[in-house]
This record gives sequence, structure tokens and C-alpha cells, in this order.
Amino acid sequence: MTRYIRNKFIGLIIVLIGVTILSFIFSNISSVDPAEAFARRTILNPTTEQVENLREEMGFNLPVHIQYLNWLRNCIKGDLGISLLTKNPVIYDISKKLPATLSIVSLAFLWIIAITLPVSILSALSKDNFFDHIMRMITIIGISIPNFWLGFLMLVVFAIAIPIFDVVAYGDFKGLILPSLTLAIPIASSSIRLLRATILSNMNKDFVIYARARGISRNNIICKHILKNSMPPMVTVFCQNIGYMIAGSAIVENVFSWPGIGRHLVDAIIARDLPTINACVLVIAIIFVLLNLFADVLNCAINPKILQETGGF
Amino acid sequence: MLKKIYKNKQAMVGLIMIFIVLFIAVFAPIIAINDPEEINPMNKFVKTSPHYPLGADQLGRCVFSRLVYGARYSLGISIPTLFILALISISIGTISAYLGGRFDDIFSIISDIFMAFPPLIVVLSLVGALGQGIRNIVAAVVFSMWVWFAKIVRSFVLMEKNKEYIIASKIAGCSDYKIIMSHIIPNILPSLIVCFSTGIAGLMLMISGFSFLGLGIEAGAAEWGSMLSSGRAYLYSHPSLIVYPGICILFTAAGFNLFGEALRDIISPKEV
Repeated sequence: MTRYIRNKFIGLIIVLIGVTILSFIFSNISSVDPAEAFARRTILNPTTEQVENLREEMGFNLPVHIQYLNWLRNCIKGDLGISLLTKNPVIYDISKKLPATLSIVSLAFLWIIAITLPVSILSALSKDNFFDHIMRMITIIGISIPNFWLGFLMLVVFAIAIPIFDVVAYGDFKGLILPSLTLAIPIASSSIRLLRATILSNMNKDFVIYARARGISRNNIICKHILKNSMPPMVTVFCQNIGYMIAGSAIVENVFSWPGIGRHLVDAIIARDLPTINACVLVIAIIFVLLNLFADVLNCAINPKILQETGGF
Repeated sequence: MLKKIYKNKQAMVGLIMIFIVLFIAVFAPIIAINDPEEINPMNKFVKTSPHYPLGADQLGRCVFSRLVYGARYSLGISIPTLFILALISISIGTISAYLGGRFDDIFSIISDIFMAFPPLIVVLSLVGALGQGIRNIVAAVVFSMWVWFAKIVRSFVLMEKNKEYIIASKIAGCSDYKIIMSHIIPNILPSLIVCFSTGIAGLMLMISGFSFLGLGIEAGAAEWGSMLSSGRAYLYSHPSLIVYPGICILFTAAGFNLFGEALRDIISPKEV
């Protein structure tokens, strides 16, 4: 187990180095000259000389790999640069916006678990029955619906037609419900389909026949034996979905005017605020990588057989 | 195979929905009653009438005609994107799985790095760096998604590669190129079609999401996502401006999803 985790950590470090290189490349393929862009923001009518001075001062005249190393050194120190838009340190902006996003995402995650588990078990139990057909229809719609549209529908129905919620409601728990549901419904739909298929494919396995031969009831088999064996792919998918939701919050936060990191990123893109774009991408990627690692370790704890298959002992 | 599709109700419903959208996209100039870009301030927010079947928007443009032309944008962007994606991911995935060894290791490391970014974030940051425009959106989507598809292709090829008929054809002296082109690819093609036909719905949703955010397609274009985005200012007074484009996106994506899922059931019946 420790060796498996250690190997995973070595892999993680390689991936993280790659992530920093890639996000550095993302910010450098821009056709905008960063020195000139900065000069135009700070000085009214910059002369060529001033731009060149700035270039030297900010290190844009250095070779690319040295620029990368400098950037990386600053990143490790926690200095991700100054936002061109708000003039605050980027890391300060992000640390202020991230909690708002995390609160939606964590509530959405709870919704997903609360919806997915019972519905997919019931669908698998009543395969090809009325309930199963209805759920298949609903989940098809759920995976095909654009989530920004879903958000607007929620607003129109639950905030305008039937005013249960406020249209702009940042601050209290009630305001979290609509955005988190909007984020959760498409993902819950795809998770239901996946879990249902996994449960059904486990139905024919030998351990199920054995359990049935021991006289254990069908419901008991599904809830205890099959569900436990269907968990590993779901754990991976659930953890990945948290990452997707943090990214997908860009759209949902825009619909609900929610001051989170996704909306911050979109605003930065429209204003071409490169340090902020860079830092947001880096933070989200690191969260995503850590979640994947967490999923691997959790899977190991649930099902130690994975260790044998990958030769981790 | 075709017979099975014909018999499967879900596949037929999906296929009909896809054909309806394709038909509308191809014959848009005939179906549309008005010019989708024609601005007519006199007719601002007019109600449904024979001349404006679904009313007009905030600039007096015919909503129905704009929706009809929107089908062109939606399919016209996502289908070419899918073809580029398929070409890149099939070639890289197949080569990496078939050659194995060091090449495969390098591919694994690169794919791990790319997979550390949620696709949406890659596209957002690339559009941020490259600037807007349809071509940039397509490039960004391809750049962010290829690795996910290549990984799937690779797993298919790995499963196929060790089957006995491949070993037999190697012994018979087939060249690697011939084995890949005339044995492996035709055999994994059905699974690939399933994978890409469900993928196209996701692509469409993603691209319309970007135009909703105001990234990619220029504002005011008759694209479903940007129609939704410009309609949001009239959420209270004219919710129908938001409802119609959303239904169009939902209809098209559901068509592709239904068809793809049914195809999967037909190809691998034991899974469901």
C-alpha cells in the first residue's frame, strides 16, 4: 500500500511539472506582447524605450526556459503575479473567490450522491419496468440539456413564476440551492446511467450466483454485494466530476451572478488579464490532479485487489 | 447491422431527430421566412404572427429564422471539430497502443499531463490567449479533447492487438501498416462510432456554452448559445427568447445521445 501510494506520488510530481509547463505555454502563445500590454495599462502613451525598459524589468527579454524557471520559482513561493484588472495580487483574488465556488460544488456533490445512489439502485432493481423507462428518459434529457439553459429555466420557474428563491441570492444557504442543483443535474444523470450499467453488468458475476445460492435475498445482494463491487469506477468518476464542476462553475456562476472563481476566470479572459487566467488554470488543474490521486487511494482502500493487479506490493 | 438499427426504436427516434436538424441546416435559406440578420426596430418583441412564427427579438429580428440558421452554426462547428478530433485521436491512439514500449510510455505521460486539466478550462484559457473566433474555438476544443478520445482509442486497440487473428496475420507476414489499416481499425470501428457519436452531443453543448459566455462566436450571430446569452437581459419580460434556443440545443443533443446509446446497445448487447 505505501509503495503504491509512493509510486502515485512520483507520478503526481511528474504530472505537476507538466501542468506548470503547459499552463506556462498557454499564457505564452498569446499574440499580445505582455510588456507592451502592461505598458499601455500603466503609462498613458508609452514610448518604445519605456516598453523596452519594462520588458527588461519584468524579465520578458530573457530566454523562454529562464522565464519559465523564474515563473515557477515565484509560483512555489505563492507569488502568481499581479492582476492587470483588479491590481491585487492574483493569489489574493483567487483565495477570496474560491470558497464561493467550493460551497456550490460541495453542495452539488451532495446532491449528486443523494440522487445517484437510490435512483440507480431502484432502476437496476426494476430493470425494464415503468420506473426504469421513465428514469432512462429523464437521464437522457439530463445529459443533453445545456446547463446554462437549465439554470435560466430554474430562475424563471423558481424565482420568477413561483418566487421561492431570489434571483440574485449570494450569501445565505438558500441562495446555494438553485446553482448547485443546476450544476448537479447533468452530472447526476450521467452517473445514474453509469452506475445502473455497472450494477447490471455485475449481476451475472459468480459471487452473485454464490450469494443467491446461499439464500440471500435479491435486494440484499444488490445493496451489499453488488454495490460494493460497483464502487471503484464510481469513486473515480465522482472525484473527476468534482473537478469538472469547478470548471463548469464558469458557466453556472455566470447565470446566477455568483462571485466565484469560474466567473472570475471568464472576466479575466474577456479582459485578457493573463496572470489571472494563468493562475486560475493552474489552481484548478492542481485541484483536479489531487482529486484524481485521492480517488486512486480511496479505491485502493475499498478494493485492495487493485494493488495486486498493478503489482503494487 | 443496419437492420438492427432499423428495428431499434430508440436508434430510429435518435436518427430521425438528427435528420430533422440536418435537413433544417441544409435547407435553412428555404425554410427561414425572413433574413435572420435583418434588423427591424419597428417589430421589436412582436408577438407570434404569420409573418413572425415565433415573434421577434429585441432588435426586431425574426426568432424563427434565426433558430433555423442556428442549426447551421451548431452542426457546422461541431461536426468538423469531431472529424479533426477523430483523425488525431485515432492515429495517435492506434500508433501508441500498437507500437507499445517507450512510445506508449511517453504517450501515457503526456496524456496524464493533459488529463490534469478539465477540458473546459483548457478551452477557456486557450481562447483567452489566442483571442476569439470560430477557428480558435475549434482549435482549442481539439487541443483539449484529443487526449480523452485518444485514450479510449488506445484501450480499444490494446484489447484487439493481442487477439489471435492479429498474431496469425503477423506470422503470415503482414506489414504493421496493413495490420493496422485492414485488421485493427475495421474491427474497432463500431466501438469508435459509438464513442464519437455520443461525444458529438458533448461537443455541441460545450461550444454553445462558450458562445453563451461570449467567447468564440461574435456577439449577435444567429447561434443558439449566443441567442440565449442576448436573451438573458429580457429574462423577466420575454422568457420565450430564452426558451426557444434552449429547446433547439436540447433537441439536437438528445438526438445524438439517443442514437449513440442505442448504437452501443446494438453493438454490445450484454452491457445493458
